[in-house]
Amino acid sequence: MAECHPVAFRWPMKAKVEHGAKIIHVDPRFTRTSAVADIYAPIRAGSDIAFLGGLINHVLADEHWNRDDFFRDYLVHYTNAATILRDDFKDTEDLDGAFSGLLEYSGNNADWPFDGFLGEYDAGTWGYARRGKGGAAATQPGTPFAALVRSLRQPAADRDETLHHPRCVFQVLKRHFSRYTPEMVAEVTGCPAQTFLEVARTVLANSGRDRTTAWAYAVGWTQHTYGPQMIGCCALLQLLLGNIGRPGGGILALRGHASIQGSTDVPTLYHSIHGYLEAPSALKGHTTLRAYLASETPATGYYANTPAFVVSYLKSMYGDAATAANDYGYDWHPKISGDHSHMPMFVAMGEGKVKGMLCVGQNPATSINAGAERTGLRQLEWLVVKDNWLTETATFWSRAPEVARGEIRPEDIDTEVFFLPSTQVAETEGSFTNTQRMLQWHFKAAEPPGQCRSDVWFTYQLGVRLKKLYGESTLPRDAGFQRLTWDFAPDTPGAVAGEPDPLRVLRELNGYHTGHADQHLSGFAELKDDGSTTCASWIYCGVYPAPNENLAARREADPPGASGAELNWGWAWPANRRVLYNRASADLDGRPWSEAKKWVWWDVTQKKWVGYDVPDFALTKAPDAPADPNGIGLDALSGRQPFIMKPDGMGWLFTPTGLLDGPLPTHYEPAESPVRNPLYGRQSSPVLKYWKRGDNLLAVVGDPRYPYVMTTYRLTEHYLAGAMSRWSPWLTELQPEQFVELSPELAAEKGIGNTDWVTVTTPRGAARGKALVTRRVRPFQIGGRTVHQVGMPWHWGWEGLVTGDVVNQLTAFVADPNVSIHEGKAFVCNVEKA
Amino acid sequence: MPEPMGFYTDTTVCIGCKACEVACKEWNQLPAAEGGQRTLSGDSYDNTQRLDGIHWRHVKFVEQFDTSRDNGRWLMLSDVCKHCVRAGCLEVCPTGAIIRTEFDTVVIQSDTCNGCRLCIAACPFGVIDINPVSHTAEKCTLCYDRLQAGMVPACAQACPTQSIQFGAIKDLKVRAAARVEQLHRLGESRAQLYGADEEMLGGLNSFYLLVDEPEVYGLPRAPKLPSRNLFKSSLFSVLGAAIVALAGFVGLRQRRMEERAREEGGGGV
Amino acid sequence: MSDTFFTASPHWEWYIILYFFIGGIAGGCFLLAALLQVFGRPEDRPVARLGYYAALVGAGASGLMLTLDLTRPERFWHMLLQSHTGLPMFKAWSPMSVGAWGLLGFGGFAFLATLAVLEEEGLSWSVLRRGPVRWLAQTGPATAIAVLGSLFGLFLAGYTGVLLAVTNRPIWADSSFLGLLFLLSAGSTAAACLMLLATWRRRGDIETLETLARFDRRMLLFELIALALFVGSLGPVARVLAGWWGALLLVGVVGVGIVLPLALERRGGGPARLARASALVLAGGLLLRTVVILSSNAIHVTGTSVVQ
Ligand SMILES: Nc1nc2c(c(=O)[nH]1)N[C@H]1C(S)=C(S)[C@@H](COP(=O)(O)OP(=O)(O)OC[C@H]3O[C@@H](n4cnc5c(=O)[nH]c(N)nc54)[C@H](O)[C@@H]3O)O[C@H]1N2
Ligand SMILES: Nc1nc2c(c(=O)[nH]1)N[C@H]1C(S)=C(S)[C@@H](COP(=O)(O)OP(=O)(O)OC[C@H]3O[C@@H](n4cnc5c(=O)[nH]c(N)nc54)[C@H](O)[C@@H]3O)O[C@H]1N2
Ligand code: SF4
Ligand code: SF4
Ligand code: SF4
Ligand code: SF4
Ligand code: SF4
Ligand SMILES: [Mo]
Repeated sequence: MAECHPVAFRWPMKAKVEHGAKIIHVDPRFTRTSAVADIYAPIRAGSDIAFLGGLINHVLADEHWNRDDFFRDYLVHYTNAATILRDDFKDTEDLDGAFSGLLEYSGNNADWPFDGFLGEYDAGTWGYARRGKGGAAATQPGTPFAALVRSLRQPAADRDETLHHPRCVFQVLKRHFSRYTPEMVAEVTGCPAQTFLEVARTVLANSGRDRTTAWAYAVGWTQHTYGPQMIGCCALLQLLLGNIGRPGGGILALRGHASIQGSTDVPTLYHSIHGYLEAPSALKGHTTLRAYLASETPATGYYANTPAFVVSYLKSMYGDAATAANDYGYDWHPKISGDHSHMPMFVAMGEGKVKGMLCVGQNPATSINAGAERTGLRQLEWLVVKDNWLTETATFWSRAPEVARGEIRPEDIDTEVFFLPSTQVAETEGSFTNTQRMLQWHFKAAEPPGQCRSDVWFTYQLGVRLKKLYGESTLPRDAGFQRLTWDFAPDTPGAVAGEPDPLRVLRELNGYHTGHADQHLSGFAELKDDGSTTCASWIYCGVYPAPNENLAARREADPPGASGAELNWGWAWPANRRVLYNRASADLDGRPWSEAKKWVWWDVTQKKWVGYDVPDFALTKAPDAPADPNGIGLDALSGRQPFIMKPDGMGWLFTPTGLLDGPLPTHYEPAESPVRNPLYGRQSSPVLKYWKRGDNLLAVVGDPRYPYVMTTYRLTEHYLAGAMSRWSPWLTELQPEQFVELSPELAAEKGIGNTDWVTVTTPRGAARGKALVTRRVRPFQIGGRTVHQVGMPWHWGWEGLVTGDVVNQLTAFVADPNVSIHEGKAFVCNVEKA
Repeated sequence: MPEPMGFYTDTTVCIGCKACEVACKEWNQLPAAEGGQRTLSGDSYDNTQRLDGIHWRHVKFVEQFDTSRDNGRWLMLSDVCKHCVRAGCLEVCPTGAIIRTEFDTVVIQSDTCNGCRLCIAACPFGVIDINPVSHTAEKCTLCYDRLQAGMVPACAQACPTQSIQFGAIKDLKVRAAARVEQLHRLGESRAQLYGADEEMLGGLNSFYLLVDEPEVYGLPRAPKLPSRNLFKSSLFSVLGAAIVALAGFVGLRQRRMEERAREEGGGGV
Repeated sequence: MSDTFFTASPHWEWYIILYFFIGGIAGGCFLLAALLQVFGRPEDRPVARLGYYAALVGAGASGLMLTLDLTRPERFWHMLLQSHTGLPMFKAWSPMSVGAWGLLGFGGFAFLATLAVLEEEGLSWSVLRRGPVRWLAQTGPATAIAVLGSLFGLFLAGYTGVLLAVTNRPIWADSSFLGLLFLLSAGSTAAACLMLLATWRRRGDIETLETLARFDRRMLLFELIALALFVGSLGPVARVLAGWWGALLLVGVVGVGIVLPLALERRGGGPARLARASALVLAGGLLLRTVVILSSNAIHVTGTSVVQ
């Protein structure tokens, strides 16, 4: 965190110095974060689930934890520990590392887009045990949305609040994690058992009524073929410890690029529309609006309002053309037809299935399995690069290593490359959404030079031109484009001709009463499913409640000594809430768990929820309010169920739906590993994605040609692929050259001296760097033998003031099945003196 | 007259992010060495290596690990001019280019300095060097321009963890003492202040909290003023001068005597 | 580890080495010239004149070296006048400041002394016959110039050592004997320089040369003692000299620059042999300053460790 989020790291340091907080750092390497941590736990890259699983096992076995009434209340009432699972559910304990429902592919899936999966789960058996079955979904045309949602109601799940039922989540958990003993943790992760136990004791001692533990993670956890499971595992631990929905608790994603949070909210993700709603998909039978809603709407919990969110979104897309009669233009909306995530897109590109690409603020020529990505780029007919710099992607055809080596001649590449100079951050106005989900308005400090244009200018102008292009078309597929609302032109043009008004974009996101663009919506509670509200992004609803009130632009800090919610600084979605699920910060009766951790509570006299933060609960629903057994939406939840976005209002220890690779986190080895999985017969995730191609080979387990574990990471001094830092002499002088961090032990074995050139190889490629021999890197004892680990920062390429080999020549196209994240954090390699 | 201002640097919260180094360069528009195209030093994460005319801040990295790695540490310290209350550089500067400001900080006036470089040799901390652009001796000004405008120095402003704390020296000393006490309570017995005491050159207006001996951070244990050698060295020189002059005089006297003896004796020897 | 190791090098190199060398010779030459003038025989006068010339040329060269060494040479005058006010710039406790004035004063006296003796060369420049110049040549003023100029000369020869000591650099600031050492070395190199000049210009008789040689031998012996004192005073820092620098000091400065000329001169002999010995003494003097300055320059902190 200190390395990559140094500014945010001021808070942990403040907590440490001013409040005696303990900092624990779990990382394969001793980094600048480890340097200021109280405990540093070294682990082999890719082994975090074993580590977290060990913590979970430790907690479950702890006597105090089992007796303490805080933990018990939280567990029984706020999590799904007591819920009973279906009797046909089979755990990894039963199936040696797989869950019930696994379908493994044996044939070859030559047909993109389905290629990629090794297997899939039928998640049908992972559900709760329920008395009876729900009825059929009322998706007939014309059914009112409320009736549709009601038709989706399922019978209540069985529960055993004594937690004794052998199939209750709690008992399943206990069995599932019983293998994750400290000895096993040490064996799998290489972390010494005493260090692990010190972490376990510290985390436990700092959780409870009066204390909370927060976990922060970034791509050390995500970039694995089981990345989402890693985070899920931590969520599970935090729920057991009562650390969710409380101040100082939580699992904090430290996100990447500036406003990457905003870019997934709004979103640039292919598989979701605004606000994390599923993108309509041809693969999921989303044939009509009602079919879509039936598959994506839970009848209970807050998401029962999905119809209102989606209809308001469609109104924003198609304006007046969206009517009840045409299902608000749902048919015009694009439907997903396959896996359009990054890697399969480049696989498809390599196969000549993609014609052109707009590359705006991205540098794929240096991205995962960079050789394969460039193979893809070479097959494009056209490529638009809009960037501040001539990136490696812009010059892949003239200066890439394969061109420099003479293997590919520029004249043989047919791709036509257009370069559009982009504005820099200070030359644009708009909102930035930070890792805390907080929107902060950002004003322009300077006009862009020359022909540089902002991305919003580009997107807007492209839309304007395409609408014109398709204006006369009679093809059904262009009907949506013709009706798309696209009114972002400012009333008074600014300095740059054609620049849209960012506040209009914000208004579209925030929403307004249909037909009255100046009557802004003040929150998503106002959203209707009848077309009377227009709102692109339900989660952003409320940021711009009136034409003269841009809450993202607020800069009012709390006075010293205040609670720290800082509600008047910027605006955080949803509804300016700073801690999600904060009903859980109060006990069953709505009283704060403790004075120290007071946050949101039930005020008996006012008969409503109050507190330092915006309560994340039905404001006047008393703690003792019972659930309506036949209700939909929040009515179905009682005054004690804090997790209101979940259909059962509970924090999920066991994840019955939503994950493709299992309802419980399970340790798998990375797609490439030097060791056999010590925990199960299953080596790696049975459902990971892998694209089998000649330039994407994987080393088999224990391949002696690639004996070392490799991990890649960032340096504070550089930014990502380097375009933003390797042109700045002030930064390049701080870290001028590509290096490889390795332990003195390995260096001695290989006869490598400090700053010697070394070559790192994997089955995909090679990259050179200078050896940085340091004891901050250590050999691990895994399964009784020494496993060496090496690491490389990945900021170099062939453009810039300082250049170096592209580390992603080494990485592979493998991905997790849920979000298609690559495995840049753990693979195997060899290292030789160059 | 404003009160003495300066830095208290708590190295225990430094994360080596070098924001201070870059902020200083940005504010003062200092160039990068070799246009930024240096080679890897191989010395931990330190590639700028020293303070000089274009590096007025420099973050040091000390890796302390034995083969077991138990209790290993990676110490970091953002080095800068100490703005000594009794400053060696100021003492020796022959042109008067180095001045003490109203904030009790030490500033080199670039338009006066003629580049004799005596201050470089005089500074006990190796802070100063010639800036290749101005060709004069340069170092941290403690952001004299910003202080005059009531602003916080660029480096302290950029420091995300408040490792660099800027303020009135007397407040900083109170804060620093409390932090040392806290660290001692937490079992970090090596925590000590460096330069907060007046014994060290009258006090360093940029003082440090260290958790190891000064030498470990590349700092002198007992920095001294250059003038400490002035009297003794001058005295021996006067002695030398007397020897030379006397030897010359005596030699001529001797010759005279010999000549006289020769004349009196009427014959040569 | 000495605290002086944690400092930075001022990058004083050849200009400064040469300045220290030439300045010492110039100061010493003036002194010897003055002594010959005041206490010597008339036969010594041609050599005395040479001494004054050498002093003047040396003073000029010293100023030039010093200026060239500045990274802003056009601002050399900032040493003497405050650049903002034009008032005199003088810091009694800064050897460099005092030294700048000292060099100026020395140059002045060397000029006056030269002016006063030029007529003896049989030159017919009208300026030499002007009143003030004639006045200078009279015994009273000439003696005063000789005495005062000698004081400045001695200062110039020795302050450079003090200058080095009044820093925080390794070796320089670790001893108080550099001024002494430089002065003695200035004496020997000045004598050697005069002997060389005299043999080259064929001025002065063998007696003058003998006198200078004797003086030179004494200086060399004293220098040897001072060098021992200097190295001894470095204490643990002397370890820096273990290696090439130490070898240079031992073989070059002591062997070639002191012992060999002593041996050569002791065997007596004609001007040729004296000239050879003088050349060696000069080489030794230059080497001494080179070793003292460069050996220290090599030490600095990189990262957190001291590099030697
Ligand atoms: N200075 C700087 N800041 C940045 C960026 C940058 O490039 N430079 N990039 C931004 C972006 S886009 C992102 S996504 C974030 C990323 O922020 P981080 O996730 O912090 O970035 P990384 O350095 O890639 O990885 C973090 C750490 O994960 C460790 N690691 C590797 N494998 C494993 C593992 O299996 N388990 C565990 N526990 N740790 C592992 C690495 O050793 C490394 O220290 O940073 C953002 N901030
Ligand atoms: N091996 C390995 N590979 C990794 C990772 C890893 O840890 N290991 N990390 C992964 C992660 S987390 C990420 S986020 C990706 C990042 O990978 P990329 O996004 O491909 O790399 P960047 O260098 O961030 O590219 C961003 C580009 O945007 C440009 N830019 C900056 N501002 C603007 C702007 O306002 N407008 C426009 N149009 N352009 C702008 C920059 O100049 C830069 O060229 O890399 C991934 N790849
Ligand atoms: S790079 Fe920018 S966003 Fe990231 S920590 Fe630094 S200041 Fe913050
Ligand atoms: S640290 Fe050095 S440069 Fe700074 S004031 Fe002290 S002596 Fe001068
Ligand atoms: S280099 Fe400049 S500032 Fe330093 S002593 Fe000389 S004149 Fe003064
Ligand atoms: S105070 Fe100013 S000049 Fe000194 S290091 Fe900080 S930013 Fe640079
Ligand atoms: S900015 Fe602060 S934390 Fe970062 S290196 Fe400098 S002193 Fe350390
Ligand atoms: Mo990222």
